[in-house]
Amino acid sequence: MSFASFLVTQALNALALSALLFFISVGLTLIFGIMRIINFAHGALYMLGAYAGYSLVLSTGSYWAALALAPVLVGGVGVGVERVLLRPLYRREHGAFLLVTFGLALVIAEAIRLGWGPTPRRFPVPPILAGSVTILGDPFPTYRLFLAAFGCLMVLALWQFLERTRLGLLVRATAQNAEMVHALGVNVDWIRAGVFGLGCGLAALGGVLAVPLVTAYLGLGVSVVVEAFVIVIIGGMGSFVGSVVGSLLIGFVQTFGNFYLPDLALAAIYLAMLAVLVLRPRGLFGHEE
Amino acid sequence: MRSRVAAPLAALAVAPWLLPAFVVTSLTEVLILGLFAMSLDLLVGYTGLDSFGHAAAYGLGAYGASLLLLHAGLSLPVAVLAAAALTALVAVPMGWICTRATGVSFAMLTLAFAQLLYAIAYRWQSVTGGSDGLAGVPRTPGPFGITWFTSRAGFYYLVAACLVLAFAFCRSFVASPVGTTLLAIRENEMKADALGYNPRAYKIAVFVVAAFFGGLAGALYAPFAGFASPDLFFWILSGQVLVMVIVGGAGSLVGPVLGAAVFLLLENYLSTLTNSWALILGSLFIAFVIFVPEGLWGMVRRRIAAGARPAPPLVETDSGRGVP
Repeated sequence: MSFASFLVTQALNALALSALLFFISVGLTLIFGIMRIINFAHGALYMLGAYAGYSLVLSTGSYWAALALAPVLVGGVGVGVERVLLRPLYRREHGAFLLVTFGLALVIAEAIRLGWGPTPRRFPVPPILAGSVTILGDPFPTYRLFLAAFGCLMVLALWQFLERTRLGLLVRATAQNAEMVHALGVNVDWIRAGVFGLGCGLAALGGVLAVPLVTAYLGLGVSVVVEAFVIVIIGGMGSFVGSVVGSLLIGFVQTFGNFYLPDLALAAIYLAMLAVLVLRPRGLFGHEE
Repeated sequence: MRSRVAAPLAALAVAPWLLPAFVVTSLTEVLILGLFAMSLDLLVGYTGLDSFGHAAAYGLGAYGASLLLLHAGLSLPVAVLAAAALTALVAVPMGWICTRATGVSFAMLTLAFAQLLYAIAYRWQSVTGGSDGLAGVPRTPGPFGITWFTSRAGFYYLVAACLVLAFAFCRSFVASPVGTTLLAIRENEMKADALGYNPRAYKIAVFVVAAFFGGLAGALYAPFAGFASPDLFFWILSGQVLVMVIVGGAGSLVGPVLGAAVFLLLENYLSTLTNSWALILGSLFIAFVIFVPEGLWGMVRRRIAAGARPAPPLVETDSGRGVP
């Protein structure tokens, strides 16, 4: 394997990982932007997406159906959670949110354990994505290439949604000044519920996509959510661009770190975060509040 | 007034004689976690700093004490105190960095520090024992040939004494001019700043004090359980201790201890009843935060006040927490 092909392969691996990280961190950052809360249950919802995807693949027999339906289902759960549990808390301090979403994470993880049992679950990738393609003379798994491409596609789609559509405009406006948006006659409550649901749905999408790579297991949400926090902090809380850049940064640091400094890889992402924060406390793309 | 201090002290003192051995062990664990939760209350309840990485202090204390007991041959009380002091020392640069941020960013920064320490504990095999942690942490006798602390009852008294002394210290700390400045920062940081206080310096100070007592709790836990593992740094523990503080009642010091007791009681009780105890526990927390915002201790205080004399008006604050 030549050095060039090694670099390209590792970079593609990093991109695939970044894509998975993006799906979970973009939801966190959008939710933070609108509601100024940190959703500790986000990892659990990611995990719920993975398990729901598993069941949907079993029942429908189609990977693509699962990929489309699981995010819708989990997004629906998210909307329900916002309306029932979070709505009463908007007037309270953010400690209450930390606690409620933390409790929710426990409840969802436990519900998954009861529903699916402790055995890790996995489903095969569809035939068209199985196998490998040859890149610079070396084989590379097609599924990872698909992940990287799908991630890029979703970044562009979400970017277009936020920048070019009326709804995206309302979302950005609500993040800036919810009271003003409300005063202009827009139902801010539904924007909040919608964005919360969208964020949860995106996490679930990431969950379904991750299953062929890492399997769905009970600790899945716990380990991934902290990485997503790191990304959101590095990128700047509430910043869409920040979550993209943060995901890329962490994806690359982890992939190359695992290769060159395996002992430090686990600590490397936290060190990267501390370095960013010491220089820019608001994160790379965060705004002063 | 005097009976309100004497009664709990007496109860703590006679408990080992009246209770069966396994209850004394559980009670010891309650007191350790109570101390841990109380230390977090200094940040959450009195300064408005929602730390989501307080497990960092607990883990540092536990690993510090374990290493000192295993390798340095220090006696139990000395090792525990030294580990707490070391935790406070580490907390100085940590607090300096974390207090650069406010609000949710602060919470995330503390979380990141705890996770960084988790990663180190997990990976630094030669010193921390890696994922297995450090096992066989002894209760080394001494100093001056005292062997009493190594027994079940003696260790209980050591923990109880730490909790009582820490409580006494924290009570006078929050009542001191420093403590009232912390309240001012919690209520309105810009105003405190405009009045000539340096909020950042006060925040670092309280961060270090909280880390000292959090480290003390962790340092007691290691010889209590006989081991220290990377899980003591993990964010789940940080979340649990925050649950204890808020369920018990933030900003009261007593409430968090109560919260720790209820937490352990519920966890032990529910796990004997049903397999899905975590489901019930999580749901209870959610219901609690929504319906009892002032916490258990706030509820108890209101009941007492309503029974004895006309209820004094609870001071309404910007942040929604009642000032005792």
